[in-house]
Amino acid sequence: MTQTAKKPVSTKKTILRLLLYFVVLDVCVITLYPYFAMLCTALKSREEIFSGGTVLPITAIWSNFIDIWSRAPMARYMLNSVMIAGGSTIIAMLCGIPAAYALARMKFKGQTAFLGFVIVSQMFAPVVLLIGIYQVMQTLNLTNSILGLVFINAAFNQAFTIWLLRGTFMGISADMEQAATIDGCNRIQSMMKVLLPVAAPGIVTTLIFIFINAWNEYTVALCLIQDDLLKPLTVGINTFNGYNIIEWQYLFAASIFAIIPVVILFMCIEKNLVSGLASGGVKG
Amino acid sequence: MATLNLKNIQKIYPHSNDQKKAKKKKGEPEKKTNLQVTDQGVIAVQSFNLDIADKEFIVLVGPSGCGKSTTLRMVAGLEEISGGELYIDGKLVNDVEPKNRDIAMVFQSYALYPHMTVYENMAFPLKLRKMDKDEIDRRVKEAAEILDITQYLDRKPKALSGGQRQRVAIGRAIVREPKVLLMDEPLSNLDAKLRNQMRAEIIKLRQKINTTFIYVTHDQTEAMTLGDRIVIMKDGFIQQIGTPQEVFDHPANLFVSGFIGMPQMNYFNAKLVNEGGKYAVAVENCKVILSDEKQKNLAANKVQPQDITLGVRPSHMVLSKQPGNTLTATIDVSELMGSEVHFHANANGKDVVVIVPTMNADGERIDSYHAGDKLNLTFSGNVCHLFAKDGKNLEF
Ligand SMILES: Nc1ncnc2c1ncn2[C@@H]1O[C@H](COP(=O)(O)OP(=O)(O)OP(=O)(O)O)[C@@H](O)[C@H]1O
Ligand SMILES: [Mg+2]
Repeated sequence: MTQTAKKPVSTKKTILRLLLYFVVLDVCVITLYPYFAMLCTALKSREEIFSGGTVLPITAIWSNFIDIWSRAPMARYMLNSVMIAGGSTIIAMLCGIPAAYALARMKFKGQTAFLGFVIVSQMFAPVVLLIGIYQVMQTLNLTNSILGLVFINAAFNQAFTIWLLRGTFMGISADMEQAATIDGCNRIQSMMKVLLPVAAPGIVTTLIFIFINAWNEYTVALCLIQDDLLKPLTVGINTFNGYNIIEWQYLFAASIFAIIPVVILFMCIEKNLVSGLASGGVKG
Repeated sequence: MATLNLKNIQKIYPHSNDQKKAKKKKGEPEKKTNLQVTDQGVIAVQSFNLDIADKEFIVLVGPSGCGKSTTLRMVAGLEEISGGELYIDGKLVNDVEPKNRDIAMVFQSYALYPHMTVYENMAFPLKLRKMDKDEIDRRVKEAAEILDITQYLDRKPKALSGGQRQRVAIGRAIVREPKVLLMDEPLSNLDAKLRNQMRAEIIKLRQKINTTFIYVTHDQTEAMTLGDRIVIMKDGFIQQIGTPQEVFDHPANLFVSGFIGMPQMNYFNAKLVNEGGKYAVAVENCKVILSDEKQKNLAANKVQPQDITLGVRPSHMVLSKQPGNTLTATIDVSELMGSEVHFHANANGKDVVVIVPTMNADGERIDSYHAGDKLNLTFSGNVCHLFAKDGKNLEF
C-alpha cells in the first residue's frame, strides 16, 4: 500500500530531475562548445583548417602545443603576465586592505562621499580612459614598461578590492579585535593577528580575482607596449595573427595556455567567490 | 585586586551625519529609549558615581539600552569617556589605552579567536606580554583546570558548545590575573539550564581568584545571586546602588521596585493619611497603620499626607478570613506551584498577584480556591512601599 502511494511522487521527482539535468547539460554544451572548438582547432594542421571540413581534427597534431614555444617568445610572455598580474595584485592589496579597514571600522568625515567616489571610479571602462592613461604614462616615462602596466592594473582593480574587502571586514564582528586590544594588542597588531587571519577566505578570494582580472587585461597592454619582449600573454599571442596569414592552430594552442591559470584559480575560489561577492554586496 | 572610582562619568554619542539629516527633515529623531538628547548627541550614561572596593563583585543591571554596556566599555577603554574621571587603584586612567589598564573582559559574543586553538586563545594575552613559555603553559593549564576545559585545549572554538566557549572566554580573561574582570552579559547566549550551572561556576570562580568584578546583566536573578552590590540603571542614570537585600527591601523608587522581584510588585492608588500623629495608608476601604520604622522615616522627611502609589510584593499579601478592612478581589487564575499558590486576581479592575503557601503554619490547606472565588486581602504595616506620584520612595 505505502509503496504504491509513494510511487507517483518519486516518478514525478525523477522526471523533474531528468529535466533539470537536461537543462544543465544544454547550458554546459552551449558555454563549453567554443572551448571545445578551440581545442580541436589547436590540434589541426594548417591545411586542414583552411580546407574546411569537420570540427574534429582528422589527425590530432599535438606538436602544435610544443611548436608555439619556439615560434614565439611564449615563455617570456608568460613571465611578463605573471609579473604584471602578481605585481598589481600585491599593490592593490597593500593599498586596499588599509582603505577597506578604515571604511569598515572607523568613522571619518566624508566617508560616504569617498565610498561613492570609489564606486564611480569603477564605472568607466578602461577604453574610455585610454588616451588619458597613455598621456599620464608618457609623462611618467612608463609607456612600454611592465611596471606601468602593474600600476594601471592595480588601479583598475582598486575599487573592486576595497568594496570586496570592506564587505568581508564588516561581516566580521569587531568584538574580536576589541578583545585583542584588551588582551594587549595595539590597533595594528589587532588587525594583523586577528582581523586578517579571520578574513583570510575573503582576502584570498579578492587576491585571486584581481590576479585573474590583471592576467586577462588586453586593451591597455596592447596600446602601451611596443617592445615584443615586454608583452603579456594576451597581447603576445597575436604574433600568430600575422600580416599575411593567421596561424589559427598556434593562436588557439597559445590561448589554451593563457586560460589554464585562470581556470585553475577560478576552481580554487569558486565556493568563496559567491559568498564573498554576496557579502560585499549586502553589507556595502 | 583593585579599587575603582567612577566620578561623574558621562558618555555622549555624537549624532551621526545621517541622524542630523533625519532630524532636520522630521524635526525629531524617532525615540527608542528615553535617553536625554542634546545638541552634542545622545547621552547614554550620565552622573555615574560609584566607588568599588577591592575584590568587590558589582553587578550593573537594567533594561535594554540603559547604558550598562556603555559604562563597562568605558571602564575597559573601548569607548572614550566623554566626561568625568575613572580611577583604577587611585590612578586616573581616562586616557590610558585598554591594553595598559590591566583589565580583562568577557564579551557577550565570547569573541574567541576562531583561527586559534583553545590553548592559543588563552595563551594569547600572555604571549603579547612576552611572558615566559613555561609560565604561560602553567597558567593556561591551571585556568583550564579551574574551568574544566583541559580536554578541549587542542580544539578550535568552532568545535565547542556554547557553554564550553563561554568557559574558554572566561579562561582567556583570568589567565592574566587582571586587576578588574569585566563581563558583559556572559550568560545570555546560554540555555536556561546551562545558565544556572554557569552562574554557580562564576560564584565558585570568584572564590578562587582575587579580582574585582564588574558584571553586566539584565537578568535580575543573576544580579541578586552574584552581586555584592547591585547598580540599577535606567535611561543612562543610576537609580539605586545597594546590596541585593537592600534593593529588594527598600527600593528607592517605583522603577527599582518593579524591576527587582518576580513576580512584579502590586501597585495600588492609595492615600497616605496622618491620624493623631500616626501615618497610615488607605486603599479603598482598607486602612493599615505603618510600622514604627516607617513612621520614623516619614516623620524625619516631614512627609505630608498625599495621594501615593502603594507597592506590596505578591508574597507579602495576606489572605484574611473575614471581610472588613480588607481589599476584595476575584480570582482570575490560580497557579499551583507545589509549596505555594499564585493567585492572579482582579481587585476593582486592577490586577493583583498574591502568593500564598499551600499550607499555613497551622497545617491548614488553602489550595481550595478556584477561579471566580472572592479573596479578602490585606498586608501588614512593615511591607508596604510608599511612592510619591513622581515615583520617588517617600522614605528616602
Ligand atoms: N555607537 C553608538 N552610537 C550611538 N548610540 C549608541 C552607540 N552605542 C550605544 N548607543 C546607545 O546608547 C544606549 C546605551 O547602550 P548600551 O549598549 O550601553 O545599552 P545596554 O544597557 O548595554 O543594553 P543591552 O541590555 O541591550 O545590551 C542605547 O540606547 C544605544 O542606542
Ligand atoms: Mg549591552
